Amino acid sequence: MKASRGEKIAEYIIVALLALLCISVLYPFLYMLAISLNDGADAAKGGVYLWPRNFTLINYEIVLGNETIRHSYLITVGRTVIGTIGGLLVTLLVAFGLSYRGLPLRSTILSYILLTMLFSGGLVPFYIQLNHLGLINTFWVYILPGLFSVWNMFVMLKFIQGIPEALVESAELDGAGPVRILMQIIVPLSKPMLAALGLFTAVGHWNDWFAGAFFVTKQDLIPVQTFLQQLLSAQDLSAVLGSNNNQEALARSSQMKNITLMSIKMAVVMVSALPILCVYPFLQKYFVKGVLLGSVKG
Amino acid sequence: MYNKFYKYRWQYLMILPGVILLFLFSYIPMAGIQVAFKDFQIGTSIWNSAWVGFGNFSFLEDPQFLTVVQNTLYISVLKFIFGFPAPILLALLINEVTRPVFKRFVQSVSYLPHFFSWIVVAYILQSFLTLDGGLVNQFIGKAGGEPVFFLGSTEWFRPMVVFSGLWKETGWNTILYLAAITTIDPQLYESAKVEGAGKLAQIRHITLPGIMPTISIVLILSIPSLITVGMDQIYPLMNSANQSVADVLDTYILRNGLQQGYFGMATAVGLLSSLISLTLVVSTNQLSRKLNGEGLW
Repeated sequence: MKASRGEKIAEYIIVALLALLCISVLYPFLYMLAISLNDGADAAKGGVYLWPRNFTLINYEIVLGNETIRHSYLITVGRTVIGTIGGLLVTLLVAFGLSYRGLPLRSTILSYILLTMLFSGGLVPFYIQLNHLGLINTFWVYILPGLFSVWNMFVMLKFIQGIPEALVESAELDGAGPVRILMQIIVPLSKPMLAALGLFTAVGHWNDWFAGAFFVTKQDLIPVQTFLQQLLSAQDLSAVLGSNNNQEALARSSQMKNITLMSIKMAVVMVSALPILCVYPFLQKYFVKGVLLGSVKG
Repeated sequence: MYNKFYKYRWQYLMILPGVILLFLFSYIPMAGIQVAFKDFQIGTSIWNSAWVGFGNFSFLEDPQFLTVVQNTLYISVLKFIFGFPAPILLALLINEVTRPVFKRFVQSVSYLPHFFSWIVVAYILQSFLTLDGGLVNQFIGKAGGEPVFFLGSTEWFRPMVVFSGLWKETGWNTILYLAAITTIDPQLYESAKVEGAGKLAQIRHITLPGIMPTISIVLILSIPSLITVGMDQIYPLMNSANQSVADVLDTYILRNGLQQGYFGMATAVGLLSSLISLTLVVSTNQLSRKLNGEGLW
């Protein structure tokens, strides 16, 4: 195959454009990393673009020494783990139950579920209900309302229905009940699907700031992203330094005047984003598969 | 009859948690819509509150509400105009890359922003655009220009929303198109080459028609979201300086409902927007049935 001159040039342009796109995604993280690792007062003078000029870990010491941030991390990790495992369990169970085509009232239950995708009460009645159930200002407001994802359930249902019925039937002939079929046939075959849905659920929990901002007023219940959201519009350092118990870092008061709000903010962002950056390469193969399975028309 | 249900007792037991959760968190809030027609205060019972008819709908005469509707439509239409073709273009570009390693790299990197929250994206914007020390204003300063207050100006808000939306989701939205491209028969390209068709002709006559069904599905699916602009993106970028262009239906409901306690009025706004999106979903489905021969349900 021989490419014409014009096509060669076009290919170079395309490669250049795509490289530019990659830089536009990766550079902000490198930039924020450089700022967070740089002396704040020095960074404010400008000129830090890629590498820290005046390297320091003080921003991270302050951020990681902050009681509120550490606690919010705990909340985030807790809700991500519990919310993901619980969510997958409920979603899988409902999808498996509904995969039995002979189930009496099956289509009634399906319409009951589908209707919630078309119409909702909206934010305020939802809030009133959370308040009525006593979930406002509790950890469970992060878990319970999102435990059953209708969308994920339909994706899962479609996946289970794609598993050859002969497998289930032969297991039934051997005397296996539904619970056994679920555990020994469906779950092992659904691993990639469960991994993809689990990943999306986990990322959703990790990134959610809304529930923490509006359904919770106790500061010791907010997750990391809500802390970030509160800090976004902060005008001074008191939001971060207020509850700092890292006396050692604070004691080095000579350095304190070199700390700026921006450098601290960048350190908080990096701390909240790093876990995703770290697990991302390992989970990639699952999510592409998950999206494609989830988008099969029907 | 009883036996039939008994036979499936395990299945019902498995479905039960989902049914209960939907009842608690979807159906009771639907019944809670009556708050839109009642004088309700938090701490009292919805059922015992007094009916006020359409009194809570007085927001329809509020000039601020009209602005909010305009802002919502403005932003969602802008986002659609730029956001719909962008992933198609990007998928076509990625598809032209012949080196598999580079191709995979571009895909991985372009999906990445999808996995970060809008809060993190807001920080990225802040770190680049802020007045004191933001990278963009540093450059403007070096070039001798006046610094621009991107984050607190009315004219920069919409471009900021559109651009950050493109940055975050374009790569992710290429997944479907790239998958559709891989299902196109390679022989079509071979025979087109034999007949002397160049790259552009191949894109126009093979690739684009090949992904047309996917394009139309994505188009149809995006119609219902035309009147909702995610709170997730707007709220972190909104401030008192840009509120006049940033305030959308979701933020209006949030502010009046949860923050200021006008529950009846905020519910009424929510009800109206739910009804409009329901109408859009149902008519979109009809449209899809007509065009594709089958609907979404």
